[in-house]
Amino acid sequence: MPASATRPLLPSGLKLLNWFLRGWTALVFIFLYVPIAVLVVFSFNSSRLNIVWESFTFDWYAKLFANGPLIKAAKNSLIIATGSTVLSVIIGTGGAWLLHRYRYRFSQAIQTLVAIPMVMPEILMGISLLILFATIGLKLGFTTVIIGHVTFSFPFVLVAVQARLQGLDPALEEAALDLGATPLKAFWLVIVPCLKPAIIAGALMAFTLSMDELIVTFFIRSASAVTLPIQVFGLARVGLNPMLNALSAIFIVATVAFVLFSEYLKKLSR
Amino acid sequence: MKTLKALLLALSALLGTARLTAADEVNLFGWSEYIPQEVLDGFTSETGIKVNFETYASNEELLSKLVAGGGAYDIVQPSDYTAEVMIRRGMLAPLDPAKLPNLRNIGAQFRSLPHDPQGKFTVPYMTGTVGIVVNTEKVKDPIKGYKDVFKEKFKDRLVVLNDNREIVTWALYSLGLSINDITPASLAKARPVVANWVKLVKVFDSDSPKTALLNGDVDIGVVWSGEAALLWNENKKFHYVLPAEGAHMFVDTLCIPASAKNKDAAHKLIDYIMRPEVSKIISDKFPYTNPNLAARKLLTPEQLANPASYPASNTARTFRDIGTAAADIDKLVTDLKSAQ
Amino acid sequence: MPAATPALPVSDHSRPGWKAWALLAPMVFWLLVFVVIPGIILFVYSFCERDEVGGVIFNFSFDNYRRVFDPVYLRIFARSIGYAGLTTVICVVIGYPVAYYIGRASEELRNRLLLLVMVPFWTSFLIRTYAWITILKQEGMLNSFLAAMNLGIGPFNLLYTPTAVVIGLVYAYLPFMILPIYGSAEKLDNSLIEAAYDLGAGPIRAFSSVIVPLTMPGIAAGTLLVFVPAIGMFAITDLMGGAKVPMIGNVIQNQFLQARDWPFGAALGVIFMLMFALTYVILQRRGSRSTA
Repeated sequence: MPASATRPLLPSGLKLLNWFLRGWTALVFIFLYVPIAVLVVFSFNSSRLNIVWESFTFDWYAKLFANGPLIKAAKNSLIIATGSTVLSVIIGTGGAWLLHRYRYRFSQAIQTLVAIPMVMPEILMGISLLILFATIGLKLGFTTVIIGHVTFSFPFVLVAVQARLQGLDPALEEAALDLGATPLKAFWLVIVPCLKPAIIAGALMAFTLSMDELIVTFFIRSASAVTLPIQVFGLARVGLNPMLNALSAIFIVATVAFVLFSEYLKKLSR
Repeated sequence: MKTLKALLLALSALLGTARLTAADEVNLFGWSEYIPQEVLDGFTSETGIKVNFETYASNEELLSKLVAGGGAYDIVQPSDYTAEVMIRRGMLAPLDPAKLPNLRNIGAQFRSLPHDPQGKFTVPYMTGTVGIVVNTEKVKDPIKGYKDVFKEKFKDRLVVLNDNREIVTWALYSLGLSINDITPASLAKARPVVANWVKLVKVFDSDSPKTALLNGDVDIGVVWSGEAALLWNENKKFHYVLPAEGAHMFVDTLCIPASAKNKDAAHKLIDYIMRPEVSKIISDKFPYTNPNLAARKLLTPEQLANPASYPASNTARTFRDIGTAAADIDKLVTDLKSAQ
Repeated sequence: MPAATPALPVSDHSRPGWKAWALLAPMVFWLLVFVVIPGIILFVYSFCERDEVGGVIFNFSFDNYRRVFDPVYLRIFARSIGYAGLTTVICVVIGYPVAYYIGRASEELRNRLLLLVMVPFWTSFLIRTYAWITILKQEGMLNSFLAAMNLGIGPFNLLYTPTAVVIGLVYAYLPFMILPIYGSAEKLDNSLIEAAYDLGAGPIRAFSSVIVPLTMPGIAAGTLLVFVPAIGMFAITDLMGGAKVPMIGNVIQNQFLQARDWPFGAALGVIFMLMFALTYVILQRRGSRSTA
């Protein structure tokens, strides 16, 4: 490294930056996880009202597994979030690429329309979608809930992917095409891998939005398509009890365990 | 509008419109956390009729979903003033008393209320009031009515329901005006009162006002009696009083929409819920005022002693539907709140 | 176009053939059916008269729009934008270094960190918010912690204040800033900073003149994903701020869930969305001109 020899400040400057970034990230993760830690601790609290600490118990976990409607709602939420994430990623990624790649006649209008669901108040989206579904006779249920969730989720995927595309070298696709790949193949083999970080980011956002949505879902759901936020919001009326904390704790622990386990499997397969 | 309709119809052809209904099912649209699951399970195991239970969290949610065209329900659970407007609009089917023998268990005073004077369309499910809950460890002054609550002394120590009609109602009561006859003149009189009150409040919360009280962030609340009953169960320092100036009583009802497909099963479920032993299960879980006098006999003395569930004297009144005045109230309170 | 082969000149690549339109069709169909039609329904409703049970009577007038431009609602609108703007700025400042750090981590660590940013939000909103209330309340964990540390600061009366609202908003929207920035920061590497050093820039200079411009699309995307939804947000302001001051989201929701005045709610929504769309189009035009 001849540069470092002539400029001794360089490595230390970089190091400083690295330390700053690491420390800052750690602080932000603490900020993100402080309420989660509180929530997990309170899942072992014997007090019913989730407010002051009384004593340690596992009761809420036992009660959680005996609570059919809550478990069912959690399952439904996972199904709906997965379905709407898959659809959102397909529509969002494809749309972002096509709008980037081609100059469509109405691309500006389409672009603006994509952003509308992000700004549309939930109550308006819920009621107007319900009116639409009722008019066309589409029966309320999982399908309608997933349709609604995709509608407000896919713009997030599209915007994230578009940001990534802006820095993409146009020569990349040209090269693939010059090598005789069809445009579809070029997209799949060259563009998608390049967009992967943004697609993952978009998928995570879509999944999260779906897991947490209440008002739109209320209007377009049926009796069987009850989701977790609806169940939880109902419980607030009689007091949120630590059973819900237990559920959240299991969720987080399971996800983290899944991440670690999948990494482990990957390592094994290598 | 025509082209829009044509477009929608074309779409419906595209997406297909399969609708299935089973004879032995009843679709119930009720308040969340108000009907215990075991009651519904008990009904299903006895009759073989499956209950599809969907929930809402406010009367307006119920109405919005019905008006926008959602769901085909056999039983709905509106409160008094909402039932009133539904009756007026022909949205409810008359009940068949012959199919509801357990109606005799319901107290007479709950069967002839203004929203349904002859009890033709509604059956009371549970009732409650809006009153004052006081943390007596922190507040030693006697609290009898709204005028004792909304004082400069208690600034930032109050939680009240986040419901615009409620706060205007309390102001009207404190002025000795009618709570159901809302006129521009009465709102003009209520305005300065509400303006003063809004400044004193620390938290507006309709969903769980008990939280701020239990946390100790506030010491006095004007809340639903159900919340106050839960607070009393948690700690006896939380006293409940019905305001001397007058209080709001709500009656949540069970009724059958005119469009219901399975009215027979709906009657069966309503009658099942009115059985004393079934109604007792509901009271055990949710400490509201039970209008089912036969069920009250099965309650423990402790349950009956909860002042929030069974207040000593009850001069409270129910809400009537106020039509377009609801928008004026909303504007008034929004205006005053945002002026802070 | 039978000649749609690589033999075409480069400039023609961006002209969509029927195939490119066919590929875009599903998204356009989705937008037309589930965004445009509901939008038209709302637009029609906004000119109607309110019905007593909710819903509308088809009696057309401009009355609802006249009511929208009342100073009360304009003030509320301004306040909502203020909160959303503040949230966005704080999210950029807090989130940028995190996104940058994750973007430069090893590939294995990267995806894990990314997931860890999002996992807290798979719990329910209410549960998370109540956990914050437990922390921020007067006799809560933050004040107990400060008292125990004996630092001489606190106790703070945070809950049900604007500060609590901002904490809640930043918490809720931070991931939506971090993720898109990560998406465009991931492709940067140390060689860029080194190059900047070689040209004689200090660490801060290198960061501000090399790194930030390259990640600008990510910052813009994050700003869009945070600022826009935050304007309509009211659940956090209600729970953590005590619902003392209404937001534009409250006002719109109240028309349906308290006042039963659908047409006015629709009119508020239409104006809200139109204002947004206009701003968006103007900003986009400017953006595309400056890059061109």
